[in-house]
Amino acid sequence: MDEDLNAQTWLDNYGDYLYSYAFLKVKDRHIAEDMVQETLLAAIAAKNTFSGQSTIRTWLTGILKHKIIDHFRRQGRMTTIGDLVDQDDEDNLDYFFQNNGSWIEKSESFPTPESALQQKQFWTIFQQCLSGLRPKQAEIFLAREVHDMNNEELCKHFSITSTNAWVLLHRARLALIHCLKAHWIDSGKNKC
Amino acid sequence: MLNCKQASQLASRFMDEQLPFWKKFSLKMHLFLCRNCSNFSRQLIFLRKASRRSENMSDFQLTDEAKRRITTALVNKQRND
Repeated sequence: MDEDLNAQTWLDNYGDYLYSYAFLKVKDRHIAEDMVQETLLAAIAAKNTFSGQSTIRTWLTGILKHKIIDHFRRQGRMTTIGDLVDQDDEDNLDYFFQNNGSWIEKSESFPTPESALQQKQFWTIFQQCLSGLRPKQAEIFLAREVHDMNNEELCKHFSITSTNAWVLLHRARLALIHCLKAHWIDSGKNKC
Repeated sequence: MLNCKQASQLASRFMDEQLPFWKKFSLKMHLFLCRNCSNFSRQLIFLRKASRRSENMSDFQLTDEAKRRITTALVNKQRND
């Protein structure tokens, strides 16, 4: 347990995750870096309040969320914790599928990853699409796909069942693919 | 027979865990017959490749310099406490 409460270990293990989460919200590298630092400093001070009921990652993310809210508040933007967690996650798949379960929009093939991932423009759009997801979807997508957390870790971190996890992931993936298609594939077509 | 909504859910789940034999079989059958869903399934792989690669990008990872700076701040804090 002692090792778990070592701030340097937190930075090594969760630093990138916290940073990417902060970057997604504030969209500024330096501010996001400062937030990771502030989060870890606050965590050192609050070490004794860590109950061990959640994982360290969840606990640190909770502190970070409050830092993000403080940041927006200082900027004069009203943000509450409700903007960082979904109030109701009942958005369904009707946007993508007809009543009979077939696709509303035909899905197209994407270019090969190798050619796409070289383009700087692709990454800008990817980041924008990710920021545009609903908060919980963005968070779980980031954890699963970018930071390669496995199913068990996801369930612990988000305190959800594995069924919830794959429903959220499925929605996040559908929304991201839809966004990439609209802003990257289709806009490329117009240029030609 | 699966419809596209069900098949897409299974395809997405298959990215995260092994499916029971019959589910996997009916998914594969559907993908074989349905171009929209087989495109979707390839898009899922595209998304995974892009995401895994993005982990190394500065939008998703602290730079070494930032890590050093934060480490210094943590050490100073703990020394002063």
